[in-house]
Amino acid sequence: MDPEEQEKTSPAQLYPMQKYPIDGQVFKSLVEASLTWLRTNQQTVNVLNVFPVPDGDTGTNMVLTMQAACDEIATSAERNIGKLTRMVAHGALMGARGNSGVILSQLWRGFARALDNFEILDGNLLVDALHQGRNTAYKGVVRPVEGTILTVAKDVDAEARHYLADTQDPYAILERIVSAADASVIRTPDLLPVLKEAGVVDAGGKGLYFILEGMLRYIKGLPLDVTTASIQPLAAMKMENALDNIEPGQDYEVVVDFHPNNVLDVPQFYEDLQQIGTSIQLGEGDGIYRMHIHVPADKENVPINYIKSLGIVHKATIENLRAQVEQFQHEQGSLLQLTPVEPGQIATVVVAPGPGIARVFASLGVSAIVEGGQTMNPSTLEILNAFDHLPTDQVFILPNNKNIILAAQSAAQLTVKHVTIIPSRSVPQGMAAMMRLVPTGNPEEIAAEMISVLSDVETGEITVATRSVEIDGVNVKKGQLICMLNGKLVLASNNLKSAALGLLSKAHADHFELVTLFYGAEVSRMEVDAIADSIRKKFPELDLEVQDGGQPHYHLIISIE
Amino acid sequence: MTEESQLGRVTISPRAIATIAYQATRQSYGVVGLTSKNLMEGITQVIVKDPTHGIEVKYDGQKISIDIYVIIEYGTRIKSVASSVSNTVKFNVEKALGMPVEQVNVHVRGLRVSDTD
Repeated sequence: MDPEEQEKTSPAQLYPMQKYPIDGQVFKSLVEASLTWLRTNQQTVNVLNVFPVPDGDTGTNMVLTMQAACDEIATSAERNIGKLTRMVAHGALMGARGNSGVILSQLWRGFARALDNFEILDGNLLVDALHQGRNTAYKGVVRPVEGTILTVAKDVDAEARHYLADTQDPYAILERIVSAADASVIRTPDLLPVLKEAGVVDAGGKGLYFILEGMLRYIKGLPLDVTTASIQPLAAMKMENALDNIEPGQDYEVVVDFHPNNVLDVPQFYEDLQQIGTSIQLGEGDGIYRMHIHVPADKENVPINYIKSLGIVHKATIENLRAQVEQFQHEQGSLLQLTPVEPGQIATVVVAPGPGIARVFASLGVSAIVEGGQTMNPSTLEILNAFDHLPTDQVFILPNNKNIILAAQSAAQLTVKHVTIIPSRSVPQGMAAMMRLVPTGNPEEIAAEMISVLSDVETGEITVATRSVEIDGVNVKKGQLICMLNGKLVLASNNLKSAALGLLSKAHADHFELVTLFYGAEVSRMEVDAIADSIRKKFPELDLEVQDGGQPHYHLIISIE
Repeated sequence: MTEESQLGRVTISPRAIATIAYQATRQSYGVVGLTSKNLMEGITQVIVKDPTHGIEVKYDGQKISIDIYVIIEYGTRIKSVASSVSNTVKFNVEKALGMPVEQVNVHVRGLRVSDTD
């Protein structure tokens, strides 16, 4: 064949990189691309975790392992492929975290061994190295479970050897094994029933796929830092934030909870949804997926019908965004904005009994909020779920209710994260403690500081008596308003205004500086304004703040400090 | 461990707990065998079939603590494998029993060398 002709048909023209032989420095770029792409998709891998084993999330573990590998070669100018991959393997070994990280380090170890003393990675060597990686990884386990990262490594190896008959070009082989890995990941639920039950693919296998795909994307010159499609934990879906910027054509918000018949093809799913609307979010948890989308008027049924074709719809809600936004802006501008936390920082998780109280906590810098309070104690699992996905090991929990302290303690026992309980027994105590939070400080010192201020604030609570009783010398009839000061019954009254004034007198409010009233869902703003006026009259020296707490059952929660 | 109910008593023997821990350990990547605690150091490379040989369960009436004696594949990061074992065992035992496990101690009694680098 005419050499010119051959060059034209060669796939080399597709990617400019392909002209270069893969030496140590080229491979270094490939490994770094793997890390970047894996990190971009870290959350996608994390949410695939089937077992809540407190071993850290698979995506995070694999990223940390790859990070250690990259750190090892970061400053190296090594051109010898054998020497460079040995450094990669060494770094991965030293930084291996979790099960998936250890397996990944074994894959690298075998890979590097095959390249020992070679200068350049060619097709034959690549296939051999993949094979050695697979073999080494399989040696680490007595009874290999199929449907995991090991299976994906095995399928990649088989495909690579098969393809060697067609081409010697390492770039072409890489392209081929990326699709083999993809196909293998999709098959994992067929091999491992527990994945099928949960409707997910294997997390470790998916991570390995991203590592290989990252190299391919680098060669093709595709971006590595933007996710094409992602799934997030349900708790992380920011529905309220999505309300922030509504544009024309976003008239309805549609949220659908569903369970797909087959494994969900996420990129395809996103692509289809993009035809229908905007602000697409996909969440996953509790065995279901939750899709969120904004669509123009008269298209509100389209996403629901589309998802019906994929599986079973559990619940679908349609809300008129225009009306909602107007109401929202009318009521108040502030949106629930949780504070993101960096690895190593202290994340705070609070239990908040009402939306208004949650909003105040959010403004104080908490990272996660669990709904709950008196008569609606959150479960240990709900508390655990709230902080398990946060990317840090240091977690403070503020239960804000004496009945929830226990659930918080058992959540702390079920995780490897360092959990400190700040035993706040009321919302005002929790807020006082939050004021002392320094997320980047020494956790022990900060915790001690936060605990020490708990007793600086007095808590008043006003609710309705559910039965007639006499406690601590206070006679209460069913249906009367009762006032509690720091959990002790001090007063009963028929009228909210006199209850609030009486409570403040019992608390010797005149010795304090600031009183905050959080009014509950059953109390109107007008009513509370009238009460605030009479408090100002009676205690002119006090600073008084009124907040919409939105909590059920409790007419008023009063912080006195 | 014993739990009283209106109908009677439920007793779970340490051996049953050891079996759960044994299965969890065998599934952990990097562990290639369990070894009896009582054998002399030189001949620990014996892979035991009986779960109670490689695993010791202690219960003092309140707390469960588990000791596991393992052989790990040479070339893996021993610390990661061991902490993976203790996490998996703690999770599986707690899931099955509904009781907190206070301690899981992993004793690495040997390494199996398949490949030297």
